[in-house]
Amino acid sequence: MASSDTAVSLENVRKTYRLAEPVHALDGVSLAVPRGSYTAIMGPSGSGKSTLMNLVGCLDTPTEGTVIVDGRDVTALDGNERTALRGEQVGFVFQTFNLMPRLTALENVALPQLFQSVSRGERRERARTLLERVGLGDRADHLPNELSGGQRQRVALARALVNDPAIVLADEPSGNLDTGTEADVLDLFDEFHEAGTTMVVVTHERHVAERAERIVHLLDGRIERIEELESDGKTTRPGGSTTPNVTGETDSEAGDGR
Amino acid sequence: MQPIEHLRLAWRSIRGHALRSALTTLGVVIGIAAVIAFVTLGASLQAGIIGDISPDDQRNLYGWAADPDTEGGPLAGAQPVVSDADLEELEEFDEVTAAYGYATIPTQTVSDGDEEVPQGDGLVATGPSYVREDDIEDGRSFEMGEREGVLNPAAAEQFEENASVGDELTITTIGGQETTVEVVGITTTSEGLSPFEGFEASPRIYVPTDPYYAEGTAGVGIGDGAEGDDGVGDGTSDSNGDLRFLAVVVEAQTAADEDVDAARDRAIAHLESDDADASEFVGEDDDLEMTFQTSTELLQQLQDVLDLLQNFIVGIAAISLLVGSIGIANIMLVSVTERTREIGIMKAVGAQNRDVLGLFLAEAVILGVIGAILGTGLGLLAGYLGALYIDLPLVYPYEYVALAIVVGVLVGVISGLYPAWRAARTDPIDALRYE
Repeated sequence: MASSDTAVSLENVRKTYRLAEPVHALDGVSLAVPRGSYTAIMGPSGSGKSTLMNLVGCLDTPTEGTVIVDGRDVTALDGNERTALRGEQVGFVFQTFNLMPRLTALENVALPQLFQSVSRGERRERARTLLERVGLGDRADHLPNELSGGQRQRVALARALVNDPAIVLADEPSGNLDTGTEADVLDLFDEFHEAGTTMVVVTHERHVAERAERIVHLLDGRIERIEELESDGKTTRPGGSTTPNVTGETDSEAGDGR
Repeated sequence: MQPIEHLRLAWRSIRGHALRSALTTLGVVIGIAAVIAFVTLGASLQAGIIGDISPDDQRNLYGWAADPDTEGGPLAGAQPVVSDADLEELEEFDEVTAAYGYATIPTQTVSDGDEEVPQGDGLVATGPSYVREDDIEDGRSFEMGEREGVLNPAAAEQFEENASVGDELTITTIGGQETTVEVVGITTTSEGLSPFEGFEASPRIYVPTDPYYAEGTAGVGIGDGAEGDDGVGDGTSDSNGDLRFLAVVVEAQTAADEDVDAARDRAIAHLESDDADASEFVGEDDDLEMTFQTSTELLQQLQDVLDLLQNFIVGIAAISLLVGSIGIANIMLVSVTERTREIGIMKAVGAQNRDVLGLFLAEAVILGVIGAILGTGLGLLAGYLGALYIDLPLVYPYEYVALAIVVGVLVGVISGLYPAWRAARTDPIDALRYE
């Protein structure tokens, strides 16, 4: 299953929290995320979305079953190895952005490479390139609190991509954004997906999920159903039509693409 | 992650909390400054009191006879037992280069020409080699049996026109007798030349024991320790045989320990033997015992007191340093809690536990080192001002400066270790959820 064209695969994964009585946050989930795919995960709260995110993101290990990220069995790794794998192969985008408040946009983007011992010059160059790709080349030296919500999320996306990961995990990426900036950010997701990045987006909003190629519906710790969406045409229309072309080339390019 | 990056990031967060960091560091600054200031003052005080002991002085043994149970500094409980004849016999031994008595003669006034100045206790009667060649600025030392003497600068400068070599001084002793001294030399320093004098600067005139001590004792109650005002007739100027000295100086061949010990053993053995006049009072069957010590040995006692005092003060200062490190530990713990989310972010993007540990440790160490550097600067300044104020020669204890930096690092490491460890083991999942 863990072939080279599978970014992440879960096999019969069970995650049990031992509270007053055992709670099965995930109860026998099997899922393969092909490389270059765009997957949305939907489900009501308590359905196991966050637990699934933590497992795929190598933040947690399953009680049973195996999680394979970039061909490596996460359950067989120790803490340090998991951290290393996470740093190299997983990019995170959070609902609350989670930028380091005292680091500039550029430094935030470069942060993951700091822990990979990439030289300072290389880090900054790579971070600058990515900031330009997300349309924030002129905001490199701004602190997060000097940026708008949409801009912060774009910085976070650039940070998620900086190590060229096997998978980008986005947890409610547009949850704190208004409609206009949400479209900007999701357009960027589309753009990077088209450039070959594997995307997994957790959301409870249908129109966000519809941008993906398929939607995995979770309910009570099980996969309820997997909804394969038609080609991009169907999913991009709502986003594409509402895109206000704020930041020029990246956005217009994304719009033209469809 | 490279160490330099730890420092860079740590420095960022320190600057992010400038006031808090400054206040935290202040604890260490005050602690280190206190230690450095007191150590500087202590060293300066020591230098001020003791001065530099001339290397030539190291071969001198200062001796006196006292009850063995007497405690105290030089000459404590000393009794006059050593006769001139004893000293002459001591000089015959190979181990002994010179042996002579020492006494201060109470005086009233000293006149140079028409000018008369009051001076008490300023006449030091001793042997010619007591005033070492190195100590003579101008002229030469006095000779035994001559009416001549050597002045120290303080004594020379008492007169409007400084007394100089060739002048003849008239000295009035406490008994009212007048005697003359021809100035043959001026010393380099006004500080005492031996522990017998004490080391403080004071006007002194060095003269030969013969004839001055002999004359003095023949007069009224003259001679160190002779409290009685009535005539003490046990010595006359022409009969030195029964003239006893309270204090004697025996010079060894060299300052080497074995030569000094040989001279000491020889001197004690001779003075206790039946050949010596002193044996009448000292020896196994008698109450008194001879003590011979070098300057270093004599000063050891003073040194011990100073050290004790200094350790006490440094101990108090060290407590403030301890308080300072508790301050760092406390603020680091607050900082770890406050930055839980940041720790979560760093771990999510690939920071290993050791990276997080390193970051927080670096922060604590930077605080400690900054505190140490500022504290050292402040302490040296305080020591400088203190030494200036109480007029001491300034001695910087440089080894303590290095020590202070080491202590700064240690304070940082020790106080940062637990908070950093707590930060390192933060669970990223919880940390990312932390508000």
